[in-house]
This record gives sequence, structure tokens and C-alpha cells, in this order.
Amino acid sequence: MKKQLRHAVNAGGIFGIITIFLFLIGFTGTAADLFSDLFRNKNAAPFLSLNPQMLNMLIFLGLIGLWAGAYGSRKSKSQTDDPWGAALIGGLTAGLVHGLLVSGLALLVGTLNLRGVRINVYLSELLPDAIKLFLVGKSPLQGATVHIVFLTLTGFLGGLLSRGVGRGSWRVRSGAAWNSILEKISQQSIVKQVRGSRNTRYVVYGILLLLVFLLPLRAGPYWNYTIGTVGIYVLLGLGLNIVVGLAGLLDLGYVAFFAIGAYTMALLTAPQPHHLMWSFWIALPIGVLLAALTGLLLGAPVLRMRGDYLAIVTLGFGEIIRILSKSDALTPFTGGPSGVKAIGFPTLFGKPFNSGVDFVYLIFLAVLLIIFVTNRLQNSRVGRAWEAMREDETVSRAMGINTLTQKLLAFAIGAAFAGLGGALFASRNVFTGPEDHNLMVSINVVAVVIVGGMGNIPGVIAGALMLKGLPEVLRQLEDYRVMVFGALLIVMMLWRPAGMIPSARRKMEVEKDKGVIETPDEGRGK
Amino acid sequence: MAMLEVKDIHTYYGNIHALKGISLTVEQGEIVTLIGSNGAGKTTTLRSICGLQKPRTGSIQLNGEDLNSYKAHQIVSKGVAMVPEGRGIFARLTVAENLDLGAYTRNDRTAIQEDLERVFTIFPRLKERQRQVAGTLSGGEQQMLATGRALMTRPRLLLMDEPSMGLAPVLVEAIFDVIKAINKEGTTILLVEQNALMALSIAHRGYVIQTGQIVLQDTAANLKNNETVQKAYLGIE
Repeated sequence: MKKQLRHAVNAGGIFGIITIFLFLIGFTGTAADLFSDLFRNKNAAPFLSLNPQMLNMLIFLGLIGLWAGAYGSRKSKSQTDDPWGAALIGGLTAGLVHGLLVSGLALLVGTLNLRGVRINVYLSELLPDAIKLFLVGKSPLQGATVHIVFLTLTGFLGGLLSRGVGRGSWRVRSGAAWNSILEKISQQSIVKQVRGSRNTRYVVYGILLLLVFLLPLRAGPYWNYTIGTVGIYVLLGLGLNIVVGLAGLLDLGYVAFFAIGAYTMALLTAPQPHHLMWSFWIALPIGVLLAALTGLLLGAPVLRMRGDYLAIVTLGFGEIIRILSKSDALTPFTGGPSGVKAIGFPTLFGKPFNSGVDFVYLIFLAVLLIIFVTNRLQNSRVGRAWEAMREDETVSRAMGINTLTQKLLAFAIGAAFAGLGGALFASRNVFTGPEDHNLMVSINVVAVVIVGGMGNIPGVIAGALMLKGLPEVLRQLEDYRVMVFGALLIVMMLWRPAGMIPSARRKMEVEKDKGVIETPDEGRGK
Repeated sequence: MAMLEVKDIHTYYGNIHALKGISLTVEQGEIVTLIGSNGAGKTTTLRSICGLQKPRTGSIQLNGEDLNSYKAHQIVSKGVAMVPEGRGIFARLTVAENLDLGAYTRNDRTAIQEDLERVFTIFPRLKERQRQVAGTLSGGEQQMLATGRALMTRPRLLLMDEPSMGLAPVLVEAIFDVIKAINKEGTTILLVEQNALMALSIAHRGYVIQTGQIVLQDTAANLKNNETVQKAYLGIE
């Protein structure tokens, strides 16, 4: 019982600090705005003398309160006999502590008088709306009371819910019933046939593909731009996946190849600085080839290094390319810091391909092509050799694999994918400049591969959606976007350490570290 | 002509003079063992032969052909395979994929299939565990896999580096039985071991290596009875 209480107090304290922190950075107000968007209740009538905005904030606080209660009532191992009592006490205590801390804050901002300076006056003047909202439009004392009662109640409720819903017997029973229904359905011969058939999978893929292809028509320019960016990051991710995921070469300067693709497209098709204005379709393969060639050129001297050293050298290379592109000396050739404008767009059968929707389709096409190529490579002799090299370079040499050519091949193919991505990127944006190719691009691509799931095509797609799509979805959070995004990334990596959709191998490896798969060994030495 | 003829090789790691003139021969069909203590140069000798660490001077000939001019990955197709120290399996690949990589240099599909069957007859355990990730095998199984993978290159000469390392005594005996069996089927073996007693009991001839030099060479039986060897490597006073 004592243990349980201590746990509950701790939980209340942690959640109290979190809530206070969220208030101090002004997040409670933003969350309230989000809820009012969600419920569309901005102009609803006041309820219990609380306007919708305050209600929304309380809903947000209530959710945190529920969580605090649920967390606080978690069963400790020594507890067995009276789960309900424990839940109630745990939830109640956690809620109470949570409420006390938050109401303390309410009192503080409402009444604090420091050395004759009434802080609340300043604060109210600084952020009058936030304070008023936080005190739900009442006096400090009343506001504090509201918080303490409300959070204690939600904590209690959270405790109840976590017992009743999380571990209650009805869930077990309903789960069993549900499973038996599912089993009955799956035993039907038709269902069995449909599920077992390969065609089903193709149909599902087909429907998904169709949806993806119809999406840009309805999405509007903003979302099409986002989808296009995600697509380009899928290209980059798949390319880096070959280098890092398969061949095991950590490349932190991947942006260099992206930049070379983009600049090739830009310089060959734009009116300035060279007045070449070649066709997109000529510039595209040249960009891809040049990127691949650079991959080879960089690879040849550098690939004798292993691991961390390789990462540092490639990091430097990425920066060199960016700095060169904005150097004064090369300005007549590259356009310098101001970049290249009016980059050409493709035409196909006389039809210009320059709207947002057109480009999304073009990028889709490129992604499909690259997925096909990657898939073939992965399952080929070359792919196998890459994986062996990643596992043990010396032994793979002893197995007859020419590791130097294989590494160069991986580097060049990865670079070619990045070049393709860069060329499409530059043409779509009509403009490219040095700042499009900074270190963050490399870091983002590495993150796409790791968050999505290394060595796995669907994983890379999921990673690109998460890293490049989610921030756009979160744009409503305004200033807190990056914070929430960072928090989500941390949660993601804790929840799925091998990535969102890990390859079977990665999964095995991470779980092995957890000790799920045992490695019996006879012990070393004699 | 000897199958493998190593003549006075000097191998360096940077400035460290690891092999100071090693010469040895292995005849067709033999098991030859190279015994010695830690750091004597046993592993370096094997690495020199298969090209992972090129000797600075001296010559290595396989059936009269100079191996020194070939790179490590080319030497494999000359018929020299290595079972590396500490097994060196590809931990995240499956057993089947590991074996498949052994046949990386070969294109004769039917012959590869035959060899795979042969490996599975020698190590039935590997057949059971084909789909399993190699890193999850036990130490003994990993040694089997490393040996099987080397056999998949269809070697004429098999270099084995401490196959008994880190294995329980029962498994050590099993592995040595397999080495004998492989040899009986016609594969020549150069075996590096710290477990001198076991190595000498299956080998035809042996070399004793000390600080980068061969100090003794004789038939295995004679070496076993040699007083210095007994004292230094067999623990017999």
C-alpha cells in the first residue's frame, strides 16, 4: 500500500510538472484552439458559465488528468489482493497531487506578491488571455479550486478506467468472443481462398495505388507540394537505404549527390547563368549520371575507411559541395548565394508538365521506378554481397566478394537515386540555391531511414511520411510544431526501436538485444 | 610438387614484423597443423595465404601458381577457402544465405546444389536451421556453419583457424571428427590450433610456430612425443 501511494504521489508530481510546463510555454491555449477547430464549437453557448475556449482547455487538462490517474494507479508487483481499492487510491492520490501542483500555479500567477511587485499584474498584462483562460475567467482562488477538483476527479476517473478497461474481465471476455467470431469467419472456405490467394494481395496493392494516384487530384496545391516533398524523400531514403541499410556504409553527406542532381538540372535548363535552356528530359539523365559519377569519385579514395571515419569524411564532403555552390569564385558558374531561378520543366507529347499535380505524378513515377529497382537489387547477388559486407567485411572478402567494387557500386547507385531526387526537386521548385542543400537534408534522410525501418522499402516510405508529412500536419500547432514533432520522434523510437516497419532482420536484431531471442553459447576461452 | 608451398614469407602489420620468414608445405590430401601460442603468428600465416594480409617478401604457391599476385577475393576461386577465427559468420543473415554466400564465386547451379546437400549430410543440424538467423545459433552450430560455408566454395585447400575456440569439449571432439571426415573425402586441410593435443591427434604432420618463426617440424606422432612440445604445448612435464 505504501509503495502504491508513493508511486501515485510521484506520478501526480510528474504530471503536475508537465502540466505546469505546458502552461508556461503557452501550450494549453494552443491545445484549446486545436480542440475548438476539432469540435467546431468556437461559437457555442457558454456552459456552466465557462466559454467554449475554457471548456476546450479543460478538456485538454482533463485528458492529462486521466492519464495521470491511469499512470498513478498502475499496479505495482507486490500488489495483488484489492485491485479496485488500489486503483481508486492510486488514481485519487495522483489526481490530487497533480491538482495541488496546478492549482498552486494558478494561485501563484493569480496572487503572487513579490517584494511589493504584484507579479500577477505584470503577467496579466503580458499574457492577459492566457491567465484569464487558465483561471477559467474566475478569481485566483476559485480558479485554483476548479483545477484541484477537476484534476482530482479526472485522476480518479483515470484510475477507474485503467482498472476497468485495461484489466477488467469484460475486456478479456469480449476479446475472446471477438476472436472466436474472427476464427469462424476465417474458416469459411471463401474467406480462406481469398486470404490465401496471391491475387488478393495484388488487389489490395492495386486499390492502395489507385487511392494514391487519385489523391493529388483532390488535394489542392499545398498538399500536393507536401506529397511531392514526401515522394522526393522516399527517393532519397531508398537511395541511402542501399548505402547505409544494405552495404552498411554510414554516409552523412548524402545531400551532396542531391545537390549535384539539383544543380545539374538547374544549370542546364535555366536561362541564367549559362543560357543553355536544354530540355528537362536531357538534363534529368545527365543529373543522375553526374551524381553517380561523383559517388564513384568520392567513393574511390574514401571507402577504404570504415564506420565512423567514413561518416565524418562524407559529412565534410556534403558541406564542401554546399559551400562551393555559394562561393564567390564560382558565382558565374553556379549562380552563387542567390541560387538559380527559372529552372525548366518537362514537356511530354507537347503538353507542359508544370502544375503541382503533374509534378506529383512525375515523382510518383520516379518512386515506383526506384522501388522496382531497389527490390530487384535487394534480392540479387549484388544485394546479398552488400549484406555480407555489412556483416563482416574481412570474411566477405575471404568468401570471394570484391568489397571495393561492391562498395563503389552501392555508393554510385545510392548517389544516382539522390541525383534523380535532386533533379526533380529543382525542376518542381523552379528555383534552387545553396540553402536547399544544407546538412539538415542529410540528417533528415538518415532519420527517414532509421525511423521508418532500415533495410526495408515500406519502412522508408513510412519514414518519409512521418518525417516530411507529419510536420505539415502539425503545422496547426504553430510554434510548438517542432517540440511536438521531437516528442513524437522520441516516442516512436521508444515504441518501435527498429523503425516503424522494420525489416525482418532489423527486428530480430533489436529484439535480440532485448534478450527475446536467446543466443546460447558455450562460453569463451578454455 | 607440393599442393601449397609457402617460402620464407615476411608479413607486417604496419611496422610490426609479424612473420619472420615462414616456410611450410602442404601435400595433396594431408591434414597439416600449425600449433603455437597466442601471438605466435598462426592466424597471420593463414591470412597471408588467403591474401587478406599480403606478405612483403617471400612466395606462396598453390600447385605451382603464385598466389601473391592475386587479391583475396580472387584466391577463393583458386580453390583456397578459409574458416575464419571466431567463426566470422554473417550474423544477421540466415543459415541458408550464409551457405549461399560461400558459393558466391561459383555459377554452376547443379554443382552448388550438390555441395549444399553434401554440407547438409555432414551437418544435419544446419538443414534443420536453414531459415534461422545465423546469429541465434549456438557456438558449435556457428562453427558448423562457418565450416559448411567454406566447403560451399568447393575448396581444394581448406584453411581452418582455431575451430575449437570457445567450444565445449564434447563439441570440440565432434568438430575434429568432421575435419577428419572432410579430409577423407579428399579436401586438403591446413589447421591452426591452440589445442595442440587434439590437432596433433588428427593431423599427419605439424609445424610449431613461435614469435613468427617455424621452430619445429615433424610428423604429428613425433611431435606428440617431442619433449619441448610436450612441455610447451601439451602441458606434460
